[in-house]
Amino acid sequence: MTPAHFAFSSAFMLGLAGLAFHRTHFISALLCLEGLMLSLFIALSLWTELFNLTHNSASMPMILLAFSACEAGTGLALLVATTRTHSTNRLKNLNLLQC
Amino acid sequence: MAPPIYSALIISLGLGTTMTFASTHWYLAWMGIEINTLAIIPLMSQNHTPRATEATTKYFFAQATASATLLFASISNAFLTGEWDILQTPNTLTSSLITLALAMKIGLAPLHSWMPEVMQGLSLLIGLILSTWQKLAPLYLIYQIQPTNSNIFITLGLLSIIVGGWGGFNQVQLRKILAYSSIAHLGWMILILSFSPPLALLTILIYLMMTFSLFSSFMLTRTTHINSLATTWAKIPILTISTPLVLLSLGGLPPLTGFMPKWLILQELTKQDLAPIATLAALSSLFSLYFYLRLSYAMTLTMPPNNPAGTLPWRLNTRHNTTMMSLTTTSTICLLPVTPAIMALLPF
Repeated sequence: MTPAHFAFSSAFMLGLAGLAFHRTHFISALLCLEGLMLSLFIALSLWTELFNLTHNSASMPMILLAFSACEAGTGLALLVATTRTHSTNRLKNLNLLQC
Repeated sequence: MAPPIYSALIISLGLGTTMTFASTHWYLAWMGIEINTLAIIPLMSQNHTPRATEATTKYFFAQATASATLLFASISNAFLTGEWDILQTPNTLTSSLITLALAMKIGLAPLHSWMPEVMQGLSLLIGLILSTWQKLAPLYLIYQIQPTNSNIFITLGLLSIIVGGWGGFNQVQLRKILAYSSIAHLGWMILILSFSPPLALLTILIYLMMTFSLFSSFMLTRTTHINSLATTWAKIPILTISTPLVLLSLGGLPPLTGFMPKWLILQELTKQDLAPIATLAALSSLFSLYFYLRLSYAMTLTMPPNNPAGTLPWRLNTRHNTTMMSLTTTSTICLLPVTPAIMALLPF
């Protein structure tokens, strides 16, 4: 595992742990999701730099950025919708759908 | 929802799955899956009730995590092997991570916890899209990974069959029961995937048909609870005959169609010298049969304590379009004798 690979892998794992173990606020989960996407952006740019010397897939990080922005927008829209219906962004309030 | 927006979302749903089906590059496959997720989010929350919003939020988190993990595993694979081709994914740690990410996408145990709650908050039509169309793209990617080490598939499959059966025991909400039945059937598909991909394809197709039929019956009477299922006899009496047969087919009883995939899967597993696993899978599907039987009992064998003379509701002239429902219901009940022809048509 090269240092670059280790770097973005550990960044991704930290973000994933943050996303999986978020307990209080909705928005901290969205921030961890953004961190995940950022680590993947860096990973794709590094791959193009180090391994793909013809640079013919140099548009991959930009497309990832576009999709990540769409996802972030969707997440924020859901945050607003949740705050409108559940009156808070605390995750303990998302308890309507239990048995 | 305004027709232009609605049609744009439905077309995007189709586009996402088509992109994933048409791709040989992991990046394009990931993009198709992302488009699917983004397109279904507004459809899920379109009636803006608190339950729908909560279901959409939970679905979004689960799917976003799984997509990011899928892309991470693909990029790691590219770093380690330099390959982005889906068919060239070697059997290493990254292919296992890809499998786990796709398993979370479709709701296999132990990554299934979002599924019952999400289904509960949705309307029946969107729940139908969620359990049929949204499963196609990730299942196709899992199908293409061509694994040689079958341990992860057997684990996911057996756990899903057990969890899908056991989880539905105490449920009275129909959408949660449908979610657990979906988990169990996906378990059967994944169980056989590493041994015989054509059988997995057969299971997928028959499951799609059976689920469509069941959802359509529930949509026709707009029932979401066992109590309202019990009054179906007064509204549409023919459903009290066809829906129990569909339910028993889902449970895998001969001579109905649902027996076909289970039978062939058990035969294939026995041929591969995995008879204990086959036994465990067969016994665990008895759990699911229990709650299917409970639904059939509530529909057909009980009459709710009402004044019988006064229970017939007003029969208004509604125009239900039951073409697809009748096609899938008939196929769900009658296709078992055609098994040899179907087996001959699935060589891939």
